[in-house]
Amino acid sequence: MIYLNNAATAWPKAPGVVEAVSECLASVPEHPGRTAAAAHRLPDACRGRLARLFGVEHADRVVITQHATQALNLAILGLCLHAGDEVVTSVMEHNSMLRPLSRLEDMQGLRLTVIGLTPEGNLDENAFEQAIARGPRLVAINHASNVTGQVMPVAALFKQAHRAGAVTLLDASQSLGHIPVNAEALNADIIAFTGHKGLRGPAGIGGLYVRKGLELEQVIVGGTGVRSDLRLHPGEMPTRLEAGTPNMPAMAGLNAALCWIEEHGAAFEAAASVRTAQLRAGLKSISGVRLFGQREGEPAIGVVSFRILGWPVEEAGYVLTESFGIVCRTGLHCAPLIHSAIGSAPDGTLRFSPSGATTEQEIAETIDAVKRMAA
Amino acid sequence: MNVVNRVKVEDCFDGSAVFNYELSEPWTEQSIQRLAGLGHFQYFADFPRPLFCLRTDAGLFVNGVAGSYDCRVVLPRTNREQVQKTLDDVLIEELNTHEEHH
Repeated sequence: MIYLNNAATAWPKAPGVVEAVSECLASVPEHPGRTAAAAHRLPDACRGRLARLFGVEHADRVVITQHATQALNLAILGLCLHAGDEVVTSVMEHNSMLRPLSRLEDMQGLRLTVIGLTPEGNLDENAFEQAIARGPRLVAINHASNVTGQVMPVAALFKQAHRAGAVTLLDASQSLGHIPVNAEALNADIIAFTGHKGLRGPAGIGGLYVRKGLELEQVIVGGTGVRSDLRLHPGEMPTRLEAGTPNMPAMAGLNAALCWIEEHGAAFEAAASVRTAQLRAGLKSISGVRLFGQREGEPAIGVVSFRILGWPVEEAGYVLTESFGIVCRTGLHCAPLIHSAIGSAPDGTLRFSPSGATTEQEIAETIDAVKRMAA
Repeated sequence: MNVVNRVKVEDCFDGSAVFNYELSEPWTEQSIQRLAGLGHFQYFADFPRPLFCLRTDAGLFVNGVAGSYDCRVVLPRTNREQVQKTLDDVLIEELNTHEEHH
């Protein structure tokens, strides 16, 4: 089996993750504020490592959630957007961004502006500038597309957004662990992320970074294990945005993944870039293969979207998996708007997403499989 | 050969188009070749796991792997119920009629 679906979830997980999750499950449970006095060590360690990844000083600004979707909902709902407030986003977004925004558009009269792409495949900067000139409350952008791998010029976009007084929200679900995600350098006020993709941790854990001085309203409140004497949910970060029993096994796994990344992450991602480039070049050389949304020399993560002439997307995915043993993803990839912009609507694309664990031999076998299908 | 079960397969859309048909017997090269008359048919005998693709004028796709007890059925965007009923009738009739002759 050749696993090329790392943009959906990373596999294999980082060394140490399985053991850490297992050990946590096998050990006497510890939950911060609820059981052992030392139980806060793991969340603190995890937050500290994430804060270092974001280049921020205050680890208490990192909130642990179940996934990036929860994090994005906490951010979007926590900003208390009102009727008439404008939010600027893009066609590159995942449904975890689009659906909370669309829901507020319908329910609360939010004005949602979705920036498209130019014919060359870049974000339409003219449309973006026009939207910024109207003074939006929020600019919410994907760092890297899970369909094309394209990395957005976030630092410049968010700089313009700040000049207009907007809050900036970055969806780093596809970028964190793959490329630098420095909050200050990217001008990001809020960053949502997941633990199971680029960070190579387990599913069921993600998080949210919120800049100091920006306080989101609480969306989910309840048990915290601390300040149980208060009638209302505590207001201090990170407890302010965390309610319910935390997923300690997943946190242990994520912490182990972060430890591994600190030492080996750069080399792993360099290997992933090499494999992605080999794959892209190999597919490009096959007549009958159409690549989507990629241009030489531009920043990208390890995602390659394509179609094979004469093969419907769903059928091609079935053949690759069932006959050649290549695990890939087909369809819209939960990002419905980008496909009209890149020419892959209505059925979407086939997507390969290698990692640093993918071997050169696996890339060669994959290219050969596509070649045989395209013949 | 009979269809034992039809299981909807989740996809990016409304989940009503893709089914996994579980069969009472595995696909053999003989049973695969019997599908050739039902539409545009290709059999990739040289693929790592030999596999067939059947596409009909009604927009139906059927894919299966030799030796496996199932096949993937993708229904067209329109007229799904009728196409699926026709498939079920024709598929079983075609396979079983030939089985009797052999």
